[in-house]
Amino acid sequence: MRIRAPKDFWAGVMFCAFAAVALFAARGYSLGSAGRMGPGYFPLLLGVVLAGLGVILMVRSVVIDGEPLPRFRVLPLAIIAGAVCLFGLAIEPLGLVVSLAILVVLAAVAGLQFRLVETVALAVGLIVFSVGVFVYALGLPLPVWPSL
Amino acid sequence: MDVLSNLGVGFAVALTLQNIAYCFIGVLLGTIIGVLPGIGPVTTVAMLLPISFTLSPESALILLAGIYYGAQYGGSTTAILVNIPGEASSVVTTIDGHQMARQGRAGPALGIAAIGSFFAGSVATLLIAVAAPPLAAVALQFGPAEYFSLMVCGLIAAVVLAHGSLVKAIAMVVLGLLLGIAGTDINSGVRRFDFGMTGLADGVEFVALSMAIYGIAEVAYNLEKQQQTSIVSGAVGRVWPSLADLRHCVGSILRGTSLGAILGVLPGGGALLASFAAYTLEKNVARPPRDFGRGDIRGVAAPESANNAGAQTSFIPMLTLGIPGNPTMALMIGALMIHGIAPGPRVMTDRPGMFWGLIASMWIGNLMLVVLNLPLVGLWAKLLRVPYRLLYPAIIVFCCIGAYTINTKPFDLFVMAFFAVFGYVALKLDCEPAPLVLGFVLGPMMEENLRRALLISRGDPMVFVTEPISLAFLVAAMLLLIVIAAPAIRKKREEALKE
Repeated sequence: MRIRAPKDFWAGVMFCAFAAVALFAARGYSLGSAGRMGPGYFPLLLGVVLAGLGVILMVRSVVIDGEPLPRFRVLPLAIIAGAVCLFGLAIEPLGLVVSLAILVVLAAVAGLQFRLVETVALAVGLIVFSVGVFVYALGLPLPVWPSL
Repeated sequence: MDVLSNLGVGFAVALTLQNIAYCFIGVLLGTIIGVLPGIGPVTTVAMLLPISFTLSPESALILLAGIYYGAQYGGSTTAILVNIPGEASSVVTTIDGHQMARQGRAGPALGIAAIGSFFAGSVATLLIAVAAPPLAAVALQFGPAEYFSLMVCGLIAAVVLAHGSLVKAIAMVVLGLLLGIAGTDINSGVRRFDFGMTGLADGVEFVALSMAIYGIAEVAYNLEKQQQTSIVSGAVGRVWPSLADLRHCVGSILRGTSLGAILGVLPGGGALLASFAAYTLEKNVARPPRDFGRGDIRGVAAPESANNAGAQTSFIPMLTLGIPGNPTMALMIGALMIHGIAPGPRVMTDRPGMFWGLIASMWIGNLMLVVLNLPLVGLWAKLLRVPYRLLYPAIIVFCCIGAYTINTKPFDLFVMAFFAVFGYVALKLDCEPAPLVLGFVLGPMMEENLRRALLISRGDPMVFVTEPISLAFLVAAMLLLIVIAAPAIRKKREEALKE
């Protein structure tokens, strides 16, 4: 047995994985009956359908030819996702100015075309804009400076 | 006369200084992001959702709507001048529009795009005003069974029109529904899918999810593509098309507008589909079929009218039924819910000022767009010199600030990071994210209507087939699935959707 449509196959695996997590997490929710649906009724229904669709994709991928897997460029994605998490960790203790500086520098690094002067200028511009618009003009609840 | 008095109410709301200002900001932003490739209306609307929280619901909707139809104007500028679509919905405009620019006729191409769009926008605004009240009145009669079947039909139709594999698209809908019902169940109080994390007690934050997929994941995806530096053709010249051009285009604008208006109302429709269909139609019916592909002005007029008409009529199902036809409309529903307004047919009667104000603002916005676009087109062309490496950090910054401020909850940033990775993987595996977002928005409503329908029928699932309206929706959904699964049509669809 050979996988002839890797893209479809892995999409199927992904959907089955999500379905498995959903069905596992929903195992404790009471089902109720059709006339009185409990909190577990709809999730079970959806989980089973999703798993079924995932299986269809996987089965089909060994029968019908399809596209190969594209190249995943993990590094830029990992840096950006990491930078987003870091922003979440930094925003409350360190404030907007410091968090944004870190975020912009990491985002620029993720582009793999890093230019120091340009990045610094961009960071300053975005910080001034964000503080001016979001904090002062719109009054959003954002700490500006580190809270010591 | 009802329409007139309703529009009167609308203009009274839309013409306040504040709302004129938000309308202007909306169409201005829409034009800018429309011109810039790599950032579209969905991303922008998602980024502005947290800000719209600080506005009144009227102003918020006016602002967000302006971005969507403003982007249709801006997108044509890039398509004509640089031969790359500023927006997906102006892909077909590149075909004849850029040829015209090469022949030194960039001005008339831009001019006819703006005039066609304005005409289409005005007609679509009137159409919403006329069609929305009766549609909402019908929808008010719907019981839970009808609503459930309507949502099934809407989701299937949206899926059918998505790119790529049908199975993947349906799977994305189901996954979206599952994500949508996470959080505390309103009936039993059980916290579903919180995985022991208090941050998920209220479910997955919609703003974080949509910004992750349409902001962050798109950035990661775009960074891989080779950035092409393209040459903007020199002078734009006179933008007013000649009288001969105008006469030539009347038919195309009319056809584009009607087709776009119809396709906009359908689930899965909107600006994108409208422009493709209008161009195909135009190639087949325009007489004489002169120079399509070599700079025929009708090849610009028809799709540009259609995408604007479609962008606006896609508000009809969103406003009257609470059912989003495309991701932008899903975000609009998100905006309503942020303000505590339950989307559905009652919005029109409960909040006439907001409803009619939004519609009136669309006409005002279209007028502003003509003024913004025709004389200032040189300025917008300069925007194209902004490289993506300066643009994408700004997108990430606004997404992060937005995700944090929506609930002042750092946890939402982790949610956003998670779904950014998911969104990237999904894009790589050719799983379109649009069905997921639609499913997410409809998840809780679908469950609630299913629950109520089955409660009334005492658990008998036959209720969905015995109620005639409900049956009609389900049959329509089945037909769509069968039609699309038929090999011949499938091939046609793939050709039509190929960019």
